[in-house]
Amino acid sequence: MSSNDKGDVSSSGTGDQADASSDHAERVRVARGSDRRRQDRAACADARTLRGREQMAAAREDVAHQREDAAGQRENVVQAREGEAHVREGRATTREDEIRTLETLQSATADQMIRLQQANANLVVATIEARKLAEQVQTAKTELDHLVHHDVLTGLPNRILLHDRLDQAIALARRSGKQLAVLFMDLDRFKHINDSLGHGVGDQLLQSVGQRLLACVRQSDTISRLGGDEFVALLPEIDHPEDAALSAQKMIAAIALPHHIEQHDLHIGASIGISIYPEDGPDAETLIKHADTAMFHAKDNGRNTYAFFEQEMTARAIARQSIEASLRLALERQEFVLHYQPKINLHSGTIVGIEALVRWQHPQRGLLEPAQFVPIAEDSGLILRIGRWVLREACRQAQAWQDAGLPPITIAVNTSALEFRAKDFLVNLRGILEETRLQPRYLELELTESVLMRDASATDSVLHALSALGIQLAVDDFGTGYSSLSYLRQFPINTLKIDRSFVNNMTRNANDASLVSAVISMGKSLKQRVIAEGVETAEQVAFLLGQHCDEGQGFFFGHPMVADALTPLLRSGASPTAYPH
Amino acid sequence: MESAALLRQQIIASLMARQPDNVADVAMDLWEKLADDIISIVGEAGFNSLYERSVHLAQPAFPWLPPCPSPPQPPHRFAELKARLADQTPAHACAANSLLLTTFTDILASLIGEQLTASILRSAWGNLASATADKEPENE
Repeated sequence: MSSNDKGDVSSSGTGDQADASSDHAERVRVARGSDRRRQDRAACADARTLRGREQMAAAREDVAHQREDAAGQRENVVQAREGEAHVREGRATTREDEIRTLETLQSATADQMIRLQQANANLVVATIEARKLAEQVQTAKTELDHLVHHDVLTGLPNRILLHDRLDQAIALARRSGKQLAVLFMDLDRFKHINDSLGHGVGDQLLQSVGQRLLACVRQSDTISRLGGDEFVALLPEIDHPEDAALSAQKMIAAIALPHHIEQHDLHIGASIGISIYPEDGPDAETLIKHADTAMFHAKDNGRNTYAFFEQEMTARAIARQSIEASLRLALERQEFVLHYQPKINLHSGTIVGIEALVRWQHPQRGLLEPAQFVPIAEDSGLILRIGRWVLREACRQAQAWQDAGLPPITIAVNTSALEFRAKDFLVNLRGILEETRLQPRYLELELTESVLMRDASATDSVLHALSALGIQLAVDDFGTGYSSLSYLRQFPINTLKIDRSFVNNMTRNANDASLVSAVISMGKSLKQRVIAEGVETAEQVAFLLGQHCDEGQGFFFGHPMVADALTPLLRSGASPTAYPH
Repeated sequence: MESAALLRQQIIASLMARQPDNVADVAMDLWEKLADDIISIVGEAGFNSLYERSVHLAQPAFPWLPPCPSPPQPPHRFAELKARLADQTPAHACAANSLLLTTFTDILASLIGEQLTASILRSAWGNLASATADKEPENE
């Protein structure tokens, strides 16, 4: 209750008198009672209100609490949602990062794959190239090894491999007590083919010979080429020396068959020397040397045959070596001499020319024929010096005869392939002519077919140079080589000399007679002189005259003789021998 | 190693013998599938190098084999080989292509190993070459 309420109650009692006072008092009492009740009620009401208020406050507090709780929960929920949102954002970011990473990775992998493929390609190519290179190196090594042990031209084993195999075969034969054979082969007149048809044909012929030889022997045998036209066969398994002889015959027969090379049917023979282990030597070198010696013996025995080695042959081989050694001194010692053989006009019997022929006055062995030393001189190269001496001496003698008042006469000199091919041949020739004062028209050079036909263009130019000088040119030993008729027409040839082998047989052999007759006719057609070489009988002279051959040379008319012996004949101009004409 | 190579050779021979009257087409099928797989790993240059080397090694036995894929791009990569194979008798063509494939796979195996080669052949030729893997030796 407030203080204002108490003031109102006191003021109303003082204003009204007795009745009023009692009424008033009653009323006051009533009022007071009312007030009291009212106050009680009010108090009760206040209490209730308070309680209500309290309750309400409590309720409000509860509500507030609840609201606070709810707010807290909501906040929690929000926080949780925010957290979840963060997590989801984080996941999304992570995923995005992953996607970006993956995209980056995929892009990087594609590039890497391309690079990897390129790297693989490079590795494969490099490895294959390395293998090729290694293969090439190996091939080169094998080829080099093959080259070292084989002949380049024929592909046959060479001297090194032959020695190796021969050493092994000897060792085996020694242990087993058996024999073996070495066959040394040299082609007959190969030089003629090589010179006349050129090295190209010669090389093909050697290849052909190599193939023929291989076909003649067993797998266990060895055919080797030592060089030039020399082949060696090793027969490591023979029961008797006769087996080697049979092989040699077989080889000779196989080689004798024509070799068809560049439109030529070439015929060639072979000479074979045979040595047997252990009889003819204890080692490879000796066996080959002795087979070589036996081969020379086979050649001396007429070629195209074989010969077994005999100890006596060694003496001959040594003599050959001795000849070569003394040949070198012969020029200095002036041991060479010239003999002269007249050429005769078959119709008149007069001397129409002279051929100068070299002889070697050997201090121990006497007078040697060209056949005994010229091949050795050719092999050693000494033929150049000897040839120049012969040419100078022949020209000097021819001029000396003229100076002595004899009628001028043509002098013929043989010219070897080596001399003809020498670079200074023409220079030397001019020098000799100047030095000896012999007019070129009195000099005749005799060249074989093989010399002429080898390298025809070079030959043509030299021949025309000689012809321009006025020198006469003759083809020697005509018919034995391989002449091209077109070249014979083209070359400035003055004379054909029919080889003695045809002349010797022409009266007995129809083929030779036909050939001689044909050569004479051809010579006349080409306006060339034709001389028959090796005329030895009157019958031959008669035949030649019958074939209208104009000139001849041979023992029938006179042997080669020294200059002094020929001088009177030249003075008379007559043949030294009377003959039917 | 040798047994794996022998097995590969037998499989190639067997694959080539599938259609004796149509050797060229069978050969093309095998080569094109193999080329696809090999080129994806070693590129055109690597494949051509391997092929060229294989031909080089097989040519002494079959000199008519063309020197290299020409032109090197599909689909005519093996046109010349196909033409040459078609010119031969079936047996001769079969023998030549078998040797060429064997040589090719031998070189490949020598470069990358038997296992990987077998895997590539399986991938290229499918089940046809599965025997290679099934019987593959443990040690290369």
